[in-house]
Amino acid sequence: MSTDLVVDGMIRTFSRVLRSDDVTPDSDFFELGGDSLLATRVLSAVAREFGPELTIGDLLVAPTPSALAKLIEVELS
Amino acid sequence: MTVAIVGAGLAGLTAATELAALGIDVVVFEARDRVGGRTHGVEVAPGQWADAGAAYLGSRHTELTALISRLGLATTPTSTEGQSRFSLRDGDPVTTDGRFPPVSAVALGELFDLLDEVTAAIRPDAPWESANAAALDAETVTEWVERSVRHADARLFFPLFLGEMMAADPDDISVLHMGFYLASGGGLQFLNAFEGGAQESRVDGGAHQIGELLAAKLGDRLRLSETVRSIAETDASVVLTTDGGTWDAEAVVVAIPPLLADAIEFHPAPPARSGSGVAPGCAIKVQLVYPSPLWRAEGLSGWSVSADGPLLSTVDDSPPGGVGVLTGFVTGAEAKRFGALTADRQRARVLAQTRRLFPSLPDPIGYHRTDWLNDPHSRGCYAALFGPGDWVATGPTLTTPHGRVHWAGTETSTEFFGLMEGAIRSGRRAAAEIAGTR
Ligand SMILES: Cc1cc2nc3c(=O)[nH]c(=O)nc-3n(C[C@H](O)[C@H](O)[C@H](O)COP(=O)(O)OP(=O)(O)OC[C@H]3O[C@@H](n4cnc5c(N)ncnc54)[C@H](O)[C@@H]3O)c2cc1C
Repeated sequence: MSTDLVVDGMIRTFSRVLRSDDVTPDSDFFELGGDSLLATRVLSAVAREFGPELTIGDLLVAPTPSALAKLIEVELS
Repeated sequence: MTVAIVGAGLAGLTAATELAALGIDVVVFEARDRVGGRTHGVEVAPGQWADAGAAYLGSRHTELTALISRLGLATTPTSTEGQSRFSLRDGDPVTTDGRFPPVSAVALGELFDLLDEVTAAIRPDAPWESANAAALDAETVTEWVERSVRHADARLFFPLFLGEMMAADPDDISVLHMGFYLASGGGLQFLNAFEGGAQESRVDGGAHQIGELLAAKLGDRLRLSETVRSIAETDASVVLTTDGGTWDAEAVVVAIPPLLADAIEFHPAPPARSGSGVAPGCAIKVQLVYPSPLWRAEGLSGWSVSADGPLLSTVDDSPPGGVGVLTGFVTGAEAKRFGALTADRQRARVLAQTRRLFPSLPDPIGYHRTDWLNDPHSRGCYAALFGPGDWVATGPTLTTPHGRVHWAGTETSTEFFGLMEGAIRSGRRAAAEIAGTR
């Protein structure tokens, strides 16, 4: 799977969960109003769409679509 | 002629206050020897109060917030800073940062996705008219969990979540009621949150003051310890029979929970207020008093959640600058079991659990327990629980006046159902109905 596809998937997920149209590859989930409850919904989407079961701690260190996509690829490789 | 109001909870007192402000004569009958209904204060130290009933509110509770400031009361933020304690599995309780439980975040995400889906399917202003109402109303939440929640951690956590949010046992409510409750209260995100959500603050000095201040303005138009037993409509008026005598009124506002409304004898009889499945909400509150909020010095917030009861959760309800108060909630099926124990056994179990959760705390200097489930004037809390079939049966006539009889109470409000905010909105609606017919 190409990184771009994963980044796009994460942008869509952030947008849906945060109800925001302003998500870019470098938007910080928590700065856009994300909290731990909403974070769980990002993590369930990651598991559903790509497989890896990440933790809230993972999202804290990789809070943007592009950083999260990199983490997902590491998990998948 | 007079408008009679049955019940001096927030709904009845709001209706009476609004009608009186329009120059209409009112009389309020209250079964208890106090006002406030499901709001009630306990004095945890001289001049310091905690809420034995309703406590929390948030920014979307606009009518309540406005009323609080009109009455000259203030709010105080709910204190949640620090680490939490969780006892969800065998073994010793664990400590976590913040309020997030030590279960799989992916599992919780799946659960919240499912809950959001159910919520989105509901018409909050008329849940019985939701697209799939009959099917959603036919299924219990237990059946829904069996069918749709896969992850073991989500199944473990869900009953605790529901107990905390609705004081409900998953067996007791329909999927329609759960989805409606979430939608009515402003959605999962708002209902679940302290900061920025429905538990953001408390009334400084206790929520019971709201009722007391409203009652003071009504003066002798309020009649305590006077239960209304029957309401009979004649051609020209409506006659109420109370323990103290009979009263002629031009209209009546019945502002009590549905199970209690059905205990009044009506002529002619209205459609049942409670469907056959309506169960009392099951909440027993316990207040543990300490010389000060001792847990804060150890970096703990006082927040805990346990699967092994009796306390489902504890929260720091300390009056600002005063003694330490941990409020414990016993809810759902556990409340039924706990409520049947002797007071001594209850206390022993609560103290044993508190020692496990907070080993460094001394035993409390004060202990208060308020059992709403077995209180004949409430028959359950936080609010009535609508079981399978109830919304479809009773929803369409929830607020329809029955001749001269109008309905109020938080269970008649499709906005913020079950909350103080819903009670106030229902009282305003009923008052407007009556004012509009004159
Ligand atoms: C433990 C607990 C925690 C809660 N937590 C919260 C919270 O944090 N935030 C929140 O917003 N809400 C909370 N609630 C819910 C809130 O308390 C209620 O939604 C609200 O107070 C209901 O007001 P009401 O006027 O509709 O009914 P009630 O307060 O029940 O008032 C009805 C009144 O009618 C009287 N009565 C009954 N039958 C008769 C009769 N036949 N004749 C005369 N009088 C009668 C009763 O004695 C009572 O005083 C909680 C409730 C409980 C119990």
